[in-house]
Amino acid sequence: MFKSANKKIAVFLAILAFSYIIASIRLPAYPYVPVDSDAVPISLGFILLILSILLFFVKDNHQRDKKLPKKEIAVILIALGFVLVYIMLFEIVGFVIATALFILTTSRFLGYRNWLSNVIVSISVPLVIYLLFTQFLKIQLPQGLLPF
Amino acid sequence: MRKFFHALVLFTLAALLAACSGNGTGNEEAIEENEGTEEETEGTESTWAPERPLEIVATAGPGSGWDTTARMAAKVLEEEDLIDVGIGVVNKPGGGGAVGWAYVYGKNDPHTIFVTSPPMLLVPLNGQSEYNYEDFTPIANLIADYGAIVVRADAPWDDLNDLFEDMKADPTSITVIGASAPGSMDHIQFVRVAKEAGVDIKQIKYVSDQEGGALTQLLNGNVEVYSTGVAETIEQVRAGNIKVLAVTAEERLKGEVLEEFPTVKEQGIDATFINWRGFFGPPNLDFAALSYYEEMFRRLSESEGWAEVRAQFGWDELFIGSEEYVEFLKQENEAMKTILDELGLGNE
Amino acid sequence: MFEGIFTGFQVAFSLEGLVFVFIGALTGTLIGMIPGLGPITAIAVMIPITYGMDPAFAMLLMAGVYYGAAYGGAASSILLNAPGESMSVPTTFDGYPMAKQGKAGKALAIAAIASFVGGTISVVLLTLFAPFLARLALSFGPAEYFALMLMGLMMISSFSEGSTVKALISATLGFMIATIGIDLQTGTRRFTFGNANLLEGIDFLVIALGLFAMAEVSSLIFERRQSGNYTSKLGSLRLNGEEVKEMTGPTLRQSLVGFVIGVLPGAGGTIASFLSYITEKRISKRPHEFGKGSIAGLAAPEAANNGASTGSFVPLLSLGIPGSGTTAVMLGALIVLGVQPGPLLMNEHPEIFWGVIASMYIGNVILLILNLPLIPYLSRILKIPRPMLISLIIVFCVIGVYGIGFNTFDLYLLVFFGIIGYFMAYFRFPAAPMLLAFILGDLMEQSLRQALTISNGSLWIFVEKPIAFSLLLISFLTFIVPLIRNWRRKQLTKKLERNG
Repeated sequence: MFKSANKKIAVFLAILAFSYIIASIRLPAYPYVPVDSDAVPISLGFILLILSILLFFVKDNHQRDKKLPKKEIAVILIALGFVLVYIMLFEIVGFVIATALFILTTSRFLGYRNWLSNVIVSISVPLVIYLLFTQFLKIQLPQGLLPF
Repeated sequence: MRKFFHALVLFTLAALLAACSGNGTGNEEAIEENEGTEEETEGTESTWAPERPLEIVATAGPGSGWDTTARMAAKVLEEEDLIDVGIGVVNKPGGGGAVGWAYVYGKNDPHTIFVTSPPMLLVPLNGQSEYNYEDFTPIANLIADYGAIVVRADAPWDDLNDLFEDMKADPTSITVIGASAPGSMDHIQFVRVAKEAGVDIKQIKYVSDQEGGALTQLLNGNVEVYSTGVAETIEQVRAGNIKVLAVTAEERLKGEVLEEFPTVKEQGIDATFINWRGFFGPPNLDFAALSYYEEMFRRLSESEGWAEVRAQFGWDELFIGSEEYVEFLKQENEAMKTILDELGLGNE
Repeated sequence: MFEGIFTGFQVAFSLEGLVFVFIGALTGTLIGMIPGLGPITAIAVMIPITYGMDPAFAMLLMAGVYYGAAYGGAASSILLNAPGESMSVPTTFDGYPMAKQGKAGKALAIAAIASFVGGTISVVLLTLFAPFLARLALSFGPAEYFALMLMGLMMISSFSEGSTVKALISATLGFMIATIGIDLQTGTRRFTFGNANLLEGIDFLVIALGLFAMAEVSSLIFERRQSGNYTSKLGSLRLNGEEVKEMTGPTLRQSLVGFVIGVLPGAGGTIASFLSYITEKRISKRPHEFGKGSIAGLAAPEAANNGASTGSFVPLLSLGIPGSGTTAVMLGALIVLGVQPGPLLMNEHPEIFWGVIASMYIGNVILLILNLPLIPYLSRILKIPRPMLISLIIVFCVIGVYGIGFNTFDLYLLVFFGIIGYFMAYFRFPAAPMLLAFILGDLMEQSLRQALTISNGSLWIFVEKPIAFSLLLISFLTFIVPLIRNWRRKQLTKKLERNG
């Protein structure tokens, strides 16, 4: 329906602004101040609404030539998947193991061929950082499955 | 690649540097093992001791009040050999404590305890935490701090009653400032006193600003009254910038400048506010473990090292054992709930 | 007073004093380089270590850590587009493009020198005027802060890359994000969706690392196979005459601006570095170079944030008021050491007061000496093969963000903002206005409502205060003048077309 990207974004922002205004209006009232917590958000919502209408009529200026080959998008999405798995495992298996696995697999996936140095880095970096944090800075990182 | 290792070497160096300054605490762990593995026999007579390093949760970031208390307690416990296992302080900031409480509740491990204070009551009463003090096991209170009601040195009021008279006459002319949002400690301690003095607490004008900002706004005359902790006021009083109209302690405090501050009570207003700070355990901590911790904190509280820490930070000694602590918390909670409900802030 | 300065320097220049400043500066630099670990954490972790030490030396160590962390923050901003702390976010705007152009060495050198100048100028000002400056620190109330923040917001359009509408949308969204969390004036929970992790709002650094570092990672992934690419070049450290000339003006001006903003409690380094960046862009003869590797654009925020770091010591040392999160932790550290900072500190403990100030001179020199030779080593990070570098950047961002909130929720937010940042870059929405509005917006809203509560709802409070009123006038002019100029230019071209 809307051919230009700006028009699509404008519609999206307008919906966002609209829901934000609704959410602001529904904030509970606090009777003891002259300007309550909903005043600024409601104004912001309307500003965004106006701006999205303006955007609707602005010509696109994003780089069309930046269009990426499908394969590259797949690479990004898989890397994103790795990051999400890393975060999920972060507190479960612990900082050191999760980080080591992440560096090892991600570097390999992105094309790092030298297994030996990959293994060395994946083990030493998280270990050094972990010891630095827990022993020196006394800031605990998730210990997970490790005994220390 | 080799160059990258240079960076690593640098990091390692820094770590080594640290190892020199902090004394190793790991060796004691091994000794403990035989005691800890004894399976508890049935009955209340069984003893309990930690089998793994303790985790003290500070439900705020490094440098905060809770964090400092936790870290200093851990330090003294280790130094005075009051515990046989290591202690790690874990920061779980967020939600004014709510995130950390949810963490302790979810973990439900007798080796995980946390440090807390009045927000433990106020935050849940404001409806901002799923868990309240009843979901945990109060172990012991260690220290106390008190609130102060402060005005500029050249302000027209010389005692609380003067101030409250004017507040009753024209509530729009006086603004109170504190470092946190309505419904939190600075606000509630003032409201509690004002209410007892007969001020209409719905008329009180209260604004909040960060710690430094609040004092600034008092000094430059943008607001009239500052509600804060006693410790923050001493230097400003000595410099003659402000006067403390009242402190919320039961009796006059001890100390060079502190003893000159009148209490709320001696001005005929029957109100106190204690900023207590103590340690809680996970939900339904079993009796043996509770006794272990209570004893440990009792000995901490009586130790010389802790007395030094208290003096250094200006904390008052206030040890309350578990049973009494629960009773105390119940009363405090009731009192705060009444105030919050009256203000319409209580939404449990 | 001179006796005081003399004792101060004596303490700081003793062998032990120098060693402590050095150790502190080194540790601070290393901590500061880790994303997420800024001066606050650096000082907080030093507290137990210094416990029981001689207060004067402990203070020197602390001060070293503090400046070190401020210096160290620039490195990851320039090399990895991953700001280590909020005040070095504007450093990425031009520092990272410079590194990309193979001028990483130069960028790091400029940052170090600008920091040094900013730090030193403000220490001199602090030494000379500390007692008078205390009055400046007290001159700002809610009305004045509101006006100052509004002035900053009005300059947002200078960040637009072509489309002002897009810059404004970015800013509005940033402001909206700032409204998430418990509202300080009423205690109302706003837009938290019942999630306890959102009650204290979203941390600035989560957004900054997401929008900049994580979004940048995606473009690094696209370019991962370009071996021997431009970024791995360190480039010369030497600045030529023209470059020195280009950085001189901004550095000197913004050191001063940074210092003044730093003196105001509650404003602080982040606001100083952002404001310095936009004002420099406004007055620059070559504003189009900003954001593409401008030397002025790199020097200005670095000078300003170091100026502000020093400036924030004014309210702390002369009034006992911590003006920022960092100085609040510093205040805690001092109390542990048995020193109670307050209005009487200068008279009662001149050795501490002047010792700290003396250590600032030394700290700045040591950091410059320490940092310049480190540059070649630091820049070698860029020689790490791309695939490995990418995973290490992600790990660094993850550690940095985890170190703020210690929960995985923030890590998911980091990824979320990374994705947002990617799309914003793709559709040409500038990210900087979002961050600027995020910081300024929050303070602006709070001070507006504080002011109106105090005045019982009367707007007169903004008129009767001279500072507030003049700042409001300036912000009105910064908004209206470009509009008029645009309109007149259009009229002129129309006329020309008609005549031509």
